Formats: sequence, structure tokens, C-alpha cells
Amino acid sequence: MSSTHTLQSPKQFRSDDSFERPLTKSAAQINPKSAKIFTPAKSILILVALLVCYIIVYITPNLELFTYTPSFPSSEAQDTYFYDLKDYTGTPNGWQNQDRVVFCVPLRDAASHLPMFFGHMKNMTYPHNLIDLAFLVSDSSDDTMGMLNNYLREIQDDPDPEMRFGNIEIFEKDFGQSIGQGFSDRHGFSAQGPRRKLMARARNWLTSVAIKPYHSWVYWRDVDVETIPPTVIEDLMHHDKDVIVPNVWRPLPDWLGSQQPYDLNSWQESDGGLQLATSLGEDAVIVEGYVEYATWRPHLAYLRDPYGDPETEMVLDGIGGVSILSKASVFKNGAHFPAFSFEKHAETEAFGKMCKRMGYSVVGLPHYVIWHIYEPSNDDLKHMEWMAQEEERLLKEKDTYKVYNKVYKHGFLDVSAEWEDEKPLILRNTDSSRSDRKIQVEWEDVDDFGTDFSGNSPASTTSLPEEKVDPAVADDFLDTNPV
Amino acid sequence: MAILKHPLVGQIRRKPAKYIAPFIGLVVLFYLVFGGSSSYKKPNSPYNYKKYSKDHNDLIPRNLPADHISHYDLNKLASTPMAAYNKERVLILTPMANFLDEYWNNLLRLNYPRELIELGFIVPRTPEGDQALKKLEKAVKKIQNPENTKEAKFVKVTILRQDTESLKSQLEKDRHAFKVQKERRSQMATTRNSLLFTTIGPYTSWVLWLDADIVESPPTLIQDLVAHDKPVIAANCYQRYMNPETKEMAIRPYDFNNWIESDEGLRIASTLSDDEIIVEGYAEIATYRPLMGHFYDAAGDVNTEMQLDGVGGTCLMVKADVHRDGAMFPNFPFYHLIETEGFAKMAKRLGYEVFGLPNYLVYHFNE
Repeated sequence: MSSTHTLQSPKQFRSDDSFERPLTKSAAQINPKSAKIFTPAKSILILVALLVCYIIVYITPNLELFTYTPSFPSSEAQDTYFYDLKDYTGTPNGWQNQDRVVFCVPLRDAASHLPMFFGHMKNMTYPHNLIDLAFLVSDSSDDTMGMLNNYLREIQDDPDPEMRFGNIEIFEKDFGQSIGQGFSDRHGFSAQGPRRKLMARARNWLTSVAIKPYHSWVYWRDVDVETIPPTVIEDLMHHDKDVIVPNVWRPLPDWLGSQQPYDLNSWQESDGGLQLATSLGEDAVIVEGYVEYATWRPHLAYLRDPYGDPETEMVLDGIGGVSILSKASVFKNGAHFPAFSFEKHAETEAFGKMCKRMGYSVVGLPHYVIWHIYEPSNDDLKHMEWMAQEEERLLKEKDTYKVYNKVYKHGFLDVSAEWEDEKPLILRNTDSSRSDRKIQVEWEDVDDFGTDFSGNSPASTTSLPEEKVDPAVADDFLDTNPV
Repeated sequence: MAILKHPLVGQIRRKPAKYIAPFIGLVVLFYLVFGGSSSYKKPNSPYNYKKYSKDHNDLIPRNLPADHISHYDLNKLASTPMAAYNKERVLILTPMANFLDEYWNNLLRLNYPRELIELGFIVPRTPEGDQALKKLEKAVKKIQNPENTKEAKFVKVTILRQDTESLKSQLEKDRHAFKVQKERRSQMATTRNSLLFTTIGPYTSWVLWLDADIVESPPTLIQDLVAHDKPVIAANCYQRYMNPETKEMAIRPYDFNNWIESDEGLRIASTLSDDEIIVEGYAEIATYRPLMGHFYDAAGDVNTEMQLDGVGGTCLMVKADVHRDGAMFPNFPFYHLIETEGFAKMAKRLGYEVFGLPNYLVYHFNE
């Protein structure tokens, strides 16, 4: 209590003091410093200094006073454009700084995924007018193209201008992929090398034609992502890394354990991996997540903690392609998805390696998760087929039993009422509570019975039906036999 | 009224600036740091956004046809020897540190139809770059001016300023010093990539790399190179000079980056660590590689082709597909090669063949 009192006392003193002018003056005389601190001239000077500091800190880096900027209005030069690439290097809060993002989506027989994909697109919070969409439709036999056009037109016709996207480009190019698009076709070990080299070519075609000088960021996204935060671009962008990926998992049916890491292409290099790489030929491609190549690399996917901080970063060497945010300068300066064996990898994993080689930061977020759709593998499909058959069989069995029950009712006489009457009489001798009762048991052919059972005495086989009866049952039989 | 008698009010009345100035200052500061424009929140996002305004000075034009949806069928895009007949677009790319009138005049002399030629330039972030940019602006404005009806216009001209650092000095003797080669060529590679990957479009069939100091070439340069129908093909770059002995103009080979790999070259490469490079044309590393510069035969057939393993970028015709497949200019040691030589290696890794024309000459500026 006493301490609070001493704390209050100076305040008390000051307010008392200010009531009378002479006292204030004398206080100022006693302590001339305190009075001088806020003279108007000084405060204005401090303000000006602060303002100058602010201007220096915030404005000068954006103003290039010493470089020349030409302008090409169409009245002076037709079809001529000037861009200073420094204006488009990407900022951590690009959604406030008008950073343009080129959103690259490779599509192949993806018509069934498009409704879900455009659902995500509409919800995206990054300003739509700053997003340019680039689609590469390749080797599609379904109506990917038609559906894509319909969805795009719908979104661009939206009455709310904030829903509409910036520039949209659709590219068509067939690469003659021979590998099937089923889950096991795509994920089988032997298919990995050639498949990934083809995928890499497709990705390179898309970036090379999609990136314009004014793009600051490139976002790669697979169409078959099921659950993703609407803020995914901002969430990845504010880390201000050259290349960044989230963790990718997939939901599973209950009978498979409900969830599983999906993207095993995001990893950190290990000694085992490097050693394996030196032992392989020039054109070999190491693919992660297959027993054939045991690299013992730490995978981003397995480091997930559902309660971990989603901001946690992990340095990576290889990355997966489900959702990559990268600064556009990474691609502008030449990084791409090698369609050949680059340091014994191809496509996105080699992209990660190449970025590292070029000195860029490559980072993954272990606790920030997006969810890929679940596509069953061949084994899963077999199991699911079996489950479906089993379900059908059970249903059929139910029906059959209905019929059987009917047939039984008609074909057999119901003797349960009679049995209720006879039961006490038949079971009379088995009532053990009445121990005073004298029960006589015929023991004569008991030995024969036992040997017949073991099959040693063929003589007695005729006396009993040829059935496998276990001794306990035999005992019961004897016990319940009324004398 | 009691509030007016409050001593604080009295003090403010006596010395208003003392109290009001800091207050106003704080408000102004707060506005400068946090305000400036209206920001708002979205219901499903923790971030602040700026209000969308229709009249915002956007980079892409508003209200493009077809709701901004454009469609390109790249299956129909081809690179054929009959490029002009098939109306194939050629993209001429030039990293430009100095603007030479001779270069520009030579460029204008090329007789490939200009409505099929797209130009791309990138200037370094240096005072020299500024000079080049000013001259280039003037030259471009002359030819692309809508009032200029006498000359055909190029279909598109893109001029970029590099965002990355470049070595300060571009003087001839510094430029070729062995020690700075790796750094210089790494930056050059980055520059080339920036130019390439921002200008190559869905309609580009061919890419011609033409250095800013190529001052003389046959006017049919594009047609001649395209006619060979090779994925990558390099012309032989020579230089005219005054022979001090004969006092006559003579020619000498200039670009030594066009070469065939030698056993010695491979042997040296195998002894190097991963981040070391081999550069051609320096006594420090004698690779004994056959250089295309030395294969020129004045009497020989101008169409003679030779297969190469390394190329230079002075005058190089590339099918756009090669670049789109990913062949770029490595700015890091790639098989101990860098920039254009690394590009040749990468194109080969992607399954393309690389050729040179030893008897087909273009001339480099003599400083």
C-alpha cells in the first residue's frame, strides 16, 4: 500500500502545482531542462528531422534518381514497350503493392477436377485483378477445353468486377504422352523418369510463354487440390522467399487410416542421397518416395505437426509441384524444370536443385498443409472392388434369408410350444442342484465309444452316426441321456 | 465553462504551438506510415487489402476483347526452313551495353519481313546503359513512329532494363581478363535469360541472338540461317582490322566460343571441382579444342555445316522450341561450362544437335 502511495504522490504534486502560476514558474526555474524540452521551435525541428528520416527511409529506394526512363507512347512509337525489371522483383506484401502474379496451371484430362478448382479460384483473397491466369491444356481426350472456357467466361462475366481476373491465356500443346493418367500408371516406379521429363517439358513451355516482364510472382498449382486456404498466395508470399512450398497431404478413406502425406518430392538433401547420385549414370533420375532409391532424406511431409506453428520454415533441396510460389525473377533468370537428368533429378525436384545452384532460397512450410484429392491406387481399387462386392453380397444374403425364412416356416412344423412343454421333462436329470438324487448311468459301452472316436475300433462304428464329435459333446450326450 | 478555466486549457491558450505542433506532427507521421490509402479487411483473410479502384493505372489494358481470355494453339506453331513463306515470327534478342549506329543500320538492312520480326533489348543498370538506352529510344522512335510511312515497322519492340547488378566496366581489356570471366559471363547469362524468358511468346518460331556489336552481316542473315533447319546454328564471327604489316584491311576470327569438344578438354574438365569453369581462348587453359573460327575457308561453300559442342552468342539462330523445352544460359557452371557454351551443352542434354557455319561470316565491331 505504501508503495502505491509514493507512486501517486508526484502526480498529486504536479496537479496541485499547476493550479497556481507562480509555483509553476518556480518549478521551471528549479529545473530549467524540463521546461526547455518542448519549446515550439525545437519540437518543430524534431518533427522536420523525423519527416526527413521518413522520406529517406521510405521513398528513396523506390525512386531511382539516376537512371533514365524512356517512354514510348503509341503516338511516338507503335508496339514498343519499356519495362524496368527492378520494378517487378516481388515484395512480401505484394497484394498491397500491386504485384502481379502469373498463376500457372498444367491441365490434362482434368475436366472432372475443374468445378472444384474454380470453386477455390472464386474464393481466393489475393486481388483477382492482379492475377493473370495461364493454362496449358495438353493431350486431353475429355472436354477439358470446353469446360475451362465455360468456367472462365462465367468468372469473367461476374457482375462484381473484383471477381474478374487479369489477363487469361490458354495454351494448347500436345506432348504425346504415352503414359496413362491413372494413379498407378503415374506413380509406378519405372514410369517416373520418362514421365517426369515430359511433365518438365510441359511446365517449361508454360512458363516460357506465360511470364511477361511485368510479373513479380509465379504461382504453380495443380488442379486436383481438394482443400486449400483462400489466402494461400498471401500466406506463402509474406515469407519473402525466392521459392516456397506448403506441405501437401491427402485425405484417405477410413479403412486406410484417414490421412497420409502426399507430396514426397519436397525434401532436404542427405548424404545417402548424394552417395546414391554418384553411383548412378548420367541420365538416371532419382525419384523420391520409392523403395528402389533409398536416400534417407528428411521429407517435408513427414515433419508435419498438426498443432505446429504454420509459419515454421524448413530449407529444402528438392520440391514438389502441387503448389509452388516463386518470385518471377527466378524463372526470368533462367531457372526451369529440367527435362533432362540434372544432378540426377528431373522436373520439380531438379528445379529445387537448380534454384539452389543459382543461389536462391528454397523453403518449405512443414506445418502449413494443403490437401490433395484422394485417388485410389490399383491395390486400393482392388480392395474397394472387394468391399463393394462384399456389401452387395451381404445385401443379397439378407434377401436370400428372407426367402429362406419363409420357406422354413412353410416347410417345417413349429415345435417350439411342444418343446417348452417337454423341456423340463427331458432336462430333468441334468438339474445339478438336486444332488441328493440318485442317478444311474450305464457305463458299459463307454470304452467303445471312446475308441470309435479315435478311430481304433472299427467294430463299434455302426453303433453311432459317423460324425466328428468332440469329447465334451459326447459327455453332454451321455449326461443328458435319460436313464 | 469550467473546462475553459482548467489550467491546461490556459497553458494551451498561452503557447499554442508548444502543444499543438507535436500533436499535429504525430498525426501526420501516423498518416504517412500507416495510412496513405484506404485499406480494408476481407472476411476470410487476416491480411489488409487496398480498395479496388477501376481507374487504377494498371499494367495490363482494361477491357480486352473476349473478357481477357486469349487462346493459343502451340501445336500449330512450327519452325521450318521456309520461315518467311510460312509467316513464322523471328525474335531478335540483343543485350545492349553500347548502342552502335553500325549495329542498328545493319539490323535495318536485314530483308526478312519486318512484320514478322520482333525485337528485344536489355540494357544494364549503369550510366553506360543509360547512354545506350537514350540512343536506342531515339532510333526506335524514328522507325516505329506512326507518322513514318516510308519504312516498315517491327511487329513489336520490347526494351528492358536489367534488375541485377552488372560489372561496372565494360572496357575491352577488362572484359576479357581471365579472372573476371566467370563472374562476367555469369551475369551475362542472367541478362540473356531475363531477356529471353520475358519476350519469348506463344507465336515465336525462331530466336536470333545478335550481339550489339555485330556491325556487318549479309542482309539475308535470317533466311540463310533458317534454311539450314537446325535446332541451334551459329554463324562464324570475324572482325575487320588494319593489318599493321601490309597496311591493308584484313579479317581475323573473333568469337572463340564455337568449338568442338576435345579429349584434352574433357580431361581438364574431369580434374576440376564442380564450381570451376573452362573458358575458351585463354592461354591459362589449353584445351586444344578445334575452334570454328579457324575453320573459315574463303573459297569454301558458304553452306558448309559443322557439328559443335560449344557456341558463342554473337550470332546464333535457335528454334524457339529449344528454349521453351528449357535450354537456357546457365549462370552457374554446368558441366564446367557457362553462358552460351553451357547453353549448347544443355540443348544437347535435351536431345538437340548444335551446328555452326564456318564459312558464313558476320563481323564484329573493332574498338
